[in-house]
Amino acid sequence: MSAPVIEISGLRKTFRDFWFRPVAEAVNGIDLVVEKGDVFGLLGPNGSGKSTTIKMVLGLLAPTGGSVKIFGLPPRSRAARARLGYLPELSYLHPFLTARETVMYYAGLSDLDRRTAKARTAELIEQVGLAENANRPVGGFSKGMARRVAFASALVSRPELLILDEPTSGLDPIGTREVKELIRRLAADGLTILVTSHQLFDMQDVCSRVAILSHGKVVGSGRVEDIVAAAADKRHALEDYFVERLGIQ
Amino acid sequence: MKASFILAWRALVRSHVLTLLLVATALAHAFLPALVRSDGTSAGWREMFVRAVPGAAYVFIAVTILACACGFFAQERERFRLSLTVVRPASAFGVALGKWLALCAVAAVALVFSAAITAFRLSDAPRCLHHHSPALPPAAECARSALAAYLADPKTPEAVRRAPRAAVLSLLTNKELDRYDVVRSGESFAWPFDASLASEPGLAVRARFATQFEVRSPFAGEFAFGGRTAPVAHSTQSSIDVPLAAATNAPAGQASSATLDLVFKNTGREIVMLRPRRDLELLTPADAFCWNLARATLQMLSTMAILAAFGMFLSAAVSRPVALFTAIVAVIVTMMAPSVVAQFPDEMNTKFTERFGLAISRAICTVTSTVSESEPISDLATDTCIEWLALARSIAVNVFALPAALLAASAFIVRRKPLAENS
Repeated sequence: MSAPVIEISGLRKTFRDFWFRPVAEAVNGIDLVVEKGDVFGLLGPNGSGKSTTIKMVLGLLAPTGGSVKIFGLPPRSRAARARLGYLPELSYLHPFLTARETVMYYAGLSDLDRRTAKARTAELIEQVGLAENANRPVGGFSKGMARRVAFASALVSRPELLILDEPTSGLDPIGTREVKELIRRLAADGLTILVTSHQLFDMQDVCSRVAILSHGKVVGSGRVEDIVAAAADKRHALEDYFVERLGIQ
Repeated sequence: MKASFILAWRALVRSHVLTLLLVATALAHAFLPALVRSDGTSAGWREMFVRAVPGAAYVFIAVTILACACGFFAQERERFRLSLTVVRPASAFGVALGKWLALCAVAAVALVFSAAITAFRLSDAPRCLHHHSPALPPAAECARSALAAYLADPKTPEAVRRAPRAAVLSLLTNKELDRYDVVRSGESFAWPFDASLASEPGLAVRARFATQFEVRSPFAGEFAFGGRTAPVAHSTQSSIDVPLAAATNAPAGQASSATLDLVFKNTGREIVMLRPRRDLELLTPADAFCWNLARATLQMLSTMAILAAFGMFLSAAVSRPVALFTAIVAVIVTMMAPSVVAQFPDEMNTKFTERFGLAISRAICTVTSTVSESEPISDLATDTCIEWLALARSIAVNVFALPAALLAASAFIVRRKPLAENS
């Protein structure tokens, strides 16, 4: 049997100040398993440890305790990095590059050969609806357009795991709908997705499983299907579950 | 590497850094010559021109490259782009190498542009010159012999015997470097030189005589080397080049297997003296000015390479303003350290803090010797041939060894530094 896509056990992260005194316990013993094909939602209020967890999964932060494995490998290993795509909360693109050059740049960093990179870039630019603006510098793009370029960049290496940090943050309803549609399409193609968001309504539409984080701990988790089935108000099932798990009146 | 090279190149070109360098270089070549004042000779004008115009362009390009390098990683981190690079499978060293190559490429374009204009303006410049110092034993060796003689002498004070050996040797080495040979009126003095120089065409002597009281006085005499002579009449305290011409009645000088003596006969009334290790050289013609300019450009480029790598290393570790400040301080210290070491007085009578400062200056001198010792603008200005060996050493250290170490350190920090960004 193959290893889970993401396996987190006993994960802890304590931020320290200059003198190594503990300042904040951002993540406090998280255990999670993300299987192949899951669209896994990591939900929680601000400061619950979602972004810190994601950064440890990406290998950008070293855990204080516990372990993270991606495809059974340490997240900082080259083999693990070759199999994942990452879309950060904000699309920090190089303003002087065009959309095509941006995607090509990330293709280059993903070790794609030039021909494959070119073909894949053209395909993705088309897929995210930027064909007409492909040769414009991204510095002049709207937030939604920049988001689409970032999406294309994250997908350029054909990752098996896509990590999305607040993918709909700052987008208008049309942009949000496009992103949700894209996530659904990618999931249908068998891509494993780990996503964090505050938009519970949107997450209910796209996630297959969720975990609710609060104060660095998992306070609830389950299949979205089951949560919806058990809820009285099917439309707000995830929101009700979230509120219940956080103990908010 | 290729992707990060293209990205950095586009960044430097599209943010008009390259344009700025080319325009500034062109403006320097267009307007600075009008400000150049010289002693009226063509050699004097050429020296001032090279120091003022290509020299100014060199400094401007160096500062710009350093400023850009100091922002490369720091700005990416501040704008949260570094995490996007770090999560990709590309090696951090490859990313750093690509950026560094782009900086070097921009510096190369600007330096070649400046060199091309200089070559055009100074197309009639004479050939550069090889400089040959007297074939004396190394100063450190002389210092060791002198120390052995001191210690063997029962009259040597106890303080000298008890002093740290390294401090005394350093003192004696400096004394040997500044040792004066005195030539009295009517007497001769000889210094050994490489005997093979006797057959070189266009041989000349460069000498700077002094008087005991460091005042300008007229002196007269005659140099003789391997059947060639040159009468000389000039003032002390200033350097003079004297071409040696073949003469039938010239003293041949005492030849050993490998050396031949350069003899100076003092025919004037003044007692004159010179430091053979600093004030006396034989000059032989080397290749054309353009070749020397090309070597100087390569040497300048090697300095840019180390500056770029150093700036990038700092930017990987700290924020851009801190990196820039540290880099500027480091450059100033690098430039000052050799003169601190050279001018420091008697080391034996120093306090601990002074010795500590001196030790730091010496360490800086050692680490940065390839940068601080290469003076391409000065060599170009004085028609001094930049020797291939010195150039090769400069390139090996400043383009390959040190940047490789600095870029590897940058890559290591970049892989771990996003921790701070996220905390």
